Amino acid sequence: MRRYAISLFVVGLVLMSYGLWLSIDISSVVAQDDVAAAPPTGNNSFCTVCHTENSTQVHTLADGTTVPVNVDASVIANSVHGESNPEGALGCVDCHGTDIFPHDDPPFANQREYSITASNVCIDCHTEESENLADDVHLTALYNGNQRAATCVDCHGSHDIQDPSENPINIAETCGTCHTIAYSQFEDSVHGQALLNGDENVPTCVSCHGVHGIQHPTTAQFRNRSPELCEDCHADEELMTEYDISTNVFNSYLSDFHGTTVALFEQNDPNVASNKAVCYDCHGVHDILAIDDENSSVVQSNLLATCRECHPDATDDFPDSWVGHYEPTFETHPFLTSVNIFYMILIPLVLAGLGFLVITDIIRMVRERLSGD
Amino acid sequence: MATITENQEQAVAPQSEYTRFTPIQRFEHMVLLVTFTGLAITGLPQTYAEIEWVQTLIGFMGGIESLRIVHRILATILMAESIFHGGILSYKAIVLGKRATMIPGFKDIMDAINWVLFNLGFRSEHPHMPRYNFGEKVEYLAVVWGTVVMVITGFMMWNPIAIASILPGEVIPAARAAHAGEAILAVLSIVIWHMWNVHVRRFNKSMFTGTLSREAMEEEHAAELEFLESGGTYITNSEEVIKKRIPFLTGYAILMTAILVSILVWAITFETSAITTLPERGASFTTDIDPAIGDSDAGAVVWTDQGCDDCHGANGDAQGLEVGVSIVGRDISFEEFITDTRLGPAEMPAYSVGILTDEDIAHLWAWFQSLES
Repeated sequence: MRRYAISLFVVGLVLMSYGLWLSIDISSVVAQDDVAAAPPTGNNSFCTVCHTENSTQVHTLADGTTVPVNVDASVIANSVHGESNPEGALGCVDCHGTDIFPHDDPPFANQREYSITASNVCIDCHTEESENLADDVHLTALYNGNQRAATCVDCHGSHDIQDPSENPINIAETCGTCHTIAYSQFEDSVHGQALLNGDENVPTCVSCHGVHGIQHPTTAQFRNRSPELCEDCHADEELMTEYDISTNVFNSYLSDFHGTTVALFEQNDPNVASNKAVCYDCHGVHDILAIDDENSSVVQSNLLATCRECHPDATDDFPDSWVGHYEPTFETHPFLTSVNIFYMILIPLVLAGLGFLVITDIIRMVRERLSGD
Repeated sequence: MATITENQEQAVAPQSEYTRFTPIQRFEHMVLLVTFTGLAITGLPQTYAEIEWVQTLIGFMGGIESLRIVHRILATILMAESIFHGGILSYKAIVLGKRATMIPGFKDIMDAINWVLFNLGFRSEHPHMPRYNFGEKVEYLAVVWGTVVMVITGFMMWNPIAIASILPGEVIPAARAAHAGEAILAVLSIVIWHMWNVHVRRFNKSMFTGTLSREAMEEEHAAELEFLESGGTYITNSEEVIKKRIPFLTGYAILMTAILVSILVWAITFETSAITTLPERGASFTTDIDPAIGDSDAGAVVWTDQGCDDCHGANGDAQGLEVGVSIVGRDISFEEFITDTRLGPAEMPAYSVGILTDEDIAHLWAWFQSLES
């Protein structure tokens, strides 16, 4: 009997730990994706009885702030979760759960805490996105206690969610609501200007930073890999023809001292920072301008100042030591091309001469062996 | 020449082995062997760094930065050896009055032609070649030429900023091209010519043992053999002259070594900025701000607008935050405050002029001061 009691106690302990573990995990932002989300019910229950479009009622949070409770059903109906949703339109309870009336749960501490908690329901269905979130900068910041870090609803909205692929400008503007400086720089950049003029080929924030699972852009890994981000578009022949930009930019960078080093770091020590210039060190980050723009950091008149960011002692002629992103020709680089031509002639000439002498030696050795000397 | 004729009077009996190289020459060869091989191993991968397996190889050898350092150390040893070799040459020429046996002449051209004709069967006897035959002269002079080219172009790449201040910037990529071209030429020449002549055709160990067999001497240095067997010697100065010149040369050698080593040290420590600076975008800022323009109320606004409170808390005490540190009660000067804000110590991001104006910093300082009181 006692043995059963012990077994029961152990099983109980295990179950309790499991339950505790589950409760901890559920309270975290990342949901367990092995629990398949239930299909949308479209059930609005009795919610709309009170939560009408014109309701003037407010809900008071623990900090005393009040939140209006009115809901415009047409906003949800026109969102991605509305009638257009291939899985079926979502109802109130699909996200908010069935709450018993009256809502006598203790109120949330403040509106922000509610938003963060509410974002937990998104990943019940959007499991793929949640998987990528593991090292995301925003989520990490949130974990570390920064309540201002973005959660799902901050970027996507809540009742009014629209398809993010629809209008790329919105992506930049959404990020820009918090990242004001980056946005204002981007807005004036060659990419931002094109985007605002309706060009959808140009990168927005997410093209370089990613969407869910954004890495911190100051890490060594991001720096070492950054040329590949630019390469994605700038080595694309088809895409670049449209803009008359050379696709040799990436290869010419790689064959140069800076590029070779960075590529080697990326290959061998991705987590060790290299002090050699990457694309954005010369061209700028969010504020990249066209290379012929008079304010561009790489336009001839500003090049020296750009070199001096890393090489403070550089003098007027120093920028010329960078061959450029275009194939050097005799007109642009007489000295460099002469050296190349010199060795292109000298190496085969010397090797042919030495090879000829070696071959005559071999001929004699073969002859001597044949004649039995 | 008079001395040679005198010495030639007494013929020497044929020996089985003839001294070819002194211990010093063998030592120099070892230094050259090690540095040349090491330079090729650490240098060629840098030339072909765009090839993937070469990148793996570089990673295997400790990464590009270590490879560059090892390359420069070996280059320094080779340069020191070149200086030493110059000293040995002047000793031989000035004190001992030895004939220069490495200078090529018309006979060497004829020797080369006759050697080929002999190999091809058009001559019944091989040419009688001197102490250093045409092949050895070509190789020695190629090493001298190659070392000069490599030292000059290597120095240019090592110190691009200083070079660009006196020469057109284009010489640096040209130097890089020449350094690579010369390296490929040297390595292939060694593989073809040196390997064939002293390892394959005949394994000539004289550079290690110091002596060469009579048979090999007869084939490769018949003229030298005749010269030695007729009692010839290369030392043309009398013992008195040698004795008289040794102190003079010792002084000269010390002086020259001091000068050349100084040049060597100067050359390898010439410039470090190109390899030590880190990109510090936007790091240029002034600490010359008048704190009087600051307003603590405006500072409080900047404090929350820029999200300072996210890490340091609303009151600067980082209360309840897991990230960030309290700044309350910190005893720092205004200048230190500006520097910390602009550069971002530890985990803190750097706030450049584009984000915080000098005025903003003054406001923040005023606000920071109000915390203390």
